[in-house]
Parts: sequence; C-alpha cells; structure tokens
Amino acid sequence: MKFTRLTALAISAAAVLGITGCSPAAEPTAEPIVIGSQAYYSNEIIAEAYALVLEDAGFAVERQFSLGQRDVYVPALVEGEIDLFPEYSGNLLQFFVPTATETAADDVYQALASSLPEGLTALAMSPASDQDSYNVTQDFATANGVASIADLAALSGLTLGGAPELAERPYGPTGLLGTYGVTVEFEATGETTVDSLVAGIVDMANVYSADPRIQQLGLVTLADPLGLFLASNVVPIASDAVSAEARALIDAVSAAMSAEDLVALNVRSVDEKLSATVIARDWLVAEGLLE
Amino acid sequence: MFDFSEVWMWFADSTNWDGRYGLWYLLVEHLALTFGAILLAAAVALPLGTFIGHTGKGEFAVIGLSSVSRAIPTMGLLFALVLVLGVEQRDLSLIVALASIAIPPLLAGTYSGITAIPWSIRDSATAQGMTGAQRIRHVELPLATPSIVGGFRIAFIHVVSTVVLAPLVGLGGLGFGIVQGLAVRNYAQVLASSLVIIVTTVIGDQILGWLQQHSTARLNAHDIMEKK
Repeated sequence: MKFTRLTALAISAAAVLGITGCSPAAEPTAEPIVIGSQAYYSNEIIAEAYALVLEDAGFAVERQFSLGQRDVYVPALVEGEIDLFPEYSGNLLQFFVPTATETAADDVYQALASSLPEGLTALAMSPASDQDSYNVTQDFATANGVASIADLAALSGLTLGGAPELAERPYGPTGLLGTYGVTVEFEATGETTVDSLVAGIVDMANVYSADPRIQQLGLVTLADPLGLFLASNVVPIASDAVSAEARALIDAVSAAMSAEDLVALNVRSVDEKLSATVIARDWLVAEGLLE
Repeated sequence: MFDFSEVWMWFADSTNWDGRYGLWYLLVEHLALTFGAILLAAAVALPLGTFIGHTGKGEFAVIGLSSVSRAIPTMGLLFALVLVLGVEQRDLSLIVALASIAIPPLLAGTYSGITAIPWSIRDSATAQGMTGAQRIRHVELPLATPSIVGGFRIAFIHVVSTVVLAPLVGLGGLGFGIVQGLAVRNYAQVLASSLVIIVTTVIGDQILGWLQQHSTARLNAHDIMEKK
C-alpha cells in the first residue's frame, strides 16, 4: 500500500506545483521546448539526440517520449502541447493527405511542407530514412534471380507477409499489381513478419528499411525503380515556439544523420540494449555535435 | 461524433464478407481457434478435475493452477511460446496460450461439481458395491454435469474474447478487423468487428447456458425414473 500512498503524494504534489505554476507570482522563466517521440525505439533515439543538442546549447527541454502513434500525438502537436517531434516525411504526409501520390523523397517533402497545419513547420529533411520496403531471403533472391520488385512479375504463387494494415495500403497487394504487375497472396503475419519470412511461410515481407534485422539476417531489400513506396525521410516537425537558433541546431543533427547511421543506432539499441540517451550521446560526440 | 450508419454500410458491403480476410472466413477461424483451445483445455482439466474431486487428493492444485494462470499474461505467454516453438507452430502456440486460461474454470467446474455431491450419496454408491470407476461414471459425473457445463461456459467467454490476440502472431480471427482497422483508422470496421465478437460471445453463452439448465433438468427426470 506504500505505492498507493506515494502515488497519491506525487499527485497532490503535482497539483500544488501546478497551482503555484499558474499563480501570477511565478518567475517569468523561458518555456521549455517540449520534445515528443513515438513509442518506437528508433524514433526515441532521434528525439533524444534533439534534446541533448538543445540542452547543450542552454535551452530548457522537456521530454514527452513514447507517445504512441500519430492518432495520439498529432493533435497534441497541432494544439501546441508539443513543440518538436521527429517524424517521417512519407508516413506523415499520408496521415494528413491520405490520397497523396508523391513518392520521391523531394516531392514528398514539398507536399508535406505545404500540407502541414498552421503553426507547424517541417525543418530540413535528413538523408536518413525509415520506410516500408519489400525484402526476401538471400536464398530466395539467388534461387529466383530477383533484385528488384520488377523481377517478381515473372514468378507466380508468391505470398506477401506484413502487418494487417498492409492489405489496405496503396503499396500493398493492389499497388504491387498495378505498378509492377506482380500478383501476391497476402498473409497478415503481424509481429511475426520477419520470422515468417525466414521460416519460409511467406516469400517476401514488408520490413522497415532501418530495421537491424535486414542486416543481421542477410535479407535482400528489393529495389523499387518505379517508386511504389513513399519515401519516408526523417524530418523534424517544429511548432512556432521553436526559435531560429534552436532550429539551426536541429538542422545540423538532421544533416549529420545518414541512412547508415540510423541503422547503426538501431542496431545498438537492439543488440546492446543501451538506453536512447547513451546511443544518442555517443553518436552526437562521434559527429562532433556534442563534446 | 462517430457516424454509426458507417458501421451498417460496412456490413452491407459484400467485399467485407468474402475472401481470406473477409468476415465469414474470420468468424469460422475465430470459432475454430476457440473450440481448439477449449478441447485441449478439457483434455487436461476434465480427467484432472475428476481425479481430484473423486479422491480428494491434490485440492491445492486446483487453487494453485487457477491463481498461477491468472498471474500469467496471456499475450506474454503467447509471444514466449511463439519464440520457443517457432513461428511455424504459431497456431499451436495460440491454442496452448488460450487453453491456459480455459483450464482453471474447467478444472474448478469439474472438481467443485464432484465435491459438492453429499457424501451420503457417494457412500451409498460404494455401499451398493460400485467400484471407484463405476461411481465416477454413474454417480459423480452425471451429478456434476451442470457444474462442468458451467465451467465450459466461463471458459468459452474467456477464450472467445481472447482470440482477438491472434492477428498479433499472424493468425486471423475476428481480431483482425480491429487490429487492421485501428492501423488504417477505419473505425467503422473496428466497431463492426467488435459487434460481431460481442454477438458471437452472447450467442455462445446463451447456448451453453441453455445446455447447463437442460443438463440439470434431464438429470432430475432421470432420477425420478430411477426411483419408480
């Protein structure tokens, strides 16, 4: 019961502090920059990198990490409760404009920049991306001589594994047929997608391009010459509360992060089980963005 | 405010009923997984519950098993089993994980159904020269039937509502519409799938409830005929 009492104490303390915070006698200190992140380890590492760089430059920062999915945090961003959020250009564009047809990185970025709600800005896009991709095993690639999605058109009886929502996505089975003439049977493999691919339950699988398992298991990511997948580069979304000075610092982080860097950061998280702070700090130091 | 007419429109669209991830297939799959898990649980719980009720040995196991199974999160157990058995055996993993929540009510139903029979009845069976096996078959199990069916009823409700975890490990069932619908923000589909699960659960519960009453009634008629 100690826990309950402690919780109650914490709640009342928070309430008292909240009241004091609202009183006119409160000191006029600078509002901290509230940084959010998705409940996705890779996203949290990027958010932590922003936080560390801003703190180093003397900004007050408040971390609101692991906020779940877009449905949850985008309204908070629009309302101004969160000031800075690492996002992915393509997926965010699709959230605001479900009918968007742009797929190339620059086009997606332009479309996103012009479709963001008032008060939000897309800062400079990073070369690092984390996007949907179709992968096959090395054995399958060798046996069938495939390196690109286009090569699959010659094959029949293919099964595609992925999260249940892939069936409804524009780059899912419908898009494969429409863009590449590839017919697949969809298997909703959910959380077991990569395992199912390796076990041979499905022939190809939708895996995020920055997933460490692509390297670890030697999966072959199929080329997408016709741009079926929406490019999804890391792009920080900032509210008007983020100053020009702070924006310049974040832009430097984005510019320094290459696609390989992002995979390497994810590998450290999955393999070495390090905290986002340690991973982000080590990387920033290596890039010379932090001492 | 959510427009509920969208839910009816979702039901009216025949493309939502047909195919591998259509409602019909998912419903059959949902029920198959439910019955598979309950059958497996019954294969364990009925003999064990009968043995414990009949002999009075190992009563602690009933309490222990039901407390332990409540302490294990089904989803965690499911993922652990998939990891251990491999993704090829994911249907078995799901059925075992679901059976783990069906065993306690079945065990308790069987055990308590037998121990609730007054000793005078059980002793008189023995006094008439019945062997232990005969006493189980002709006296204890028939008298415990309503309680055992009650166990099935609770097990069914637990399992049928937990099968919604199946899509997480790449299996279907009615949870598919919820998991997919949430991801693509198709809330009409989420609500429609939930409604089908609720209706399935209520109908199944009513059928088992009717069976429970029916088994009691038949037993009474049987007893009266025996007395004549």
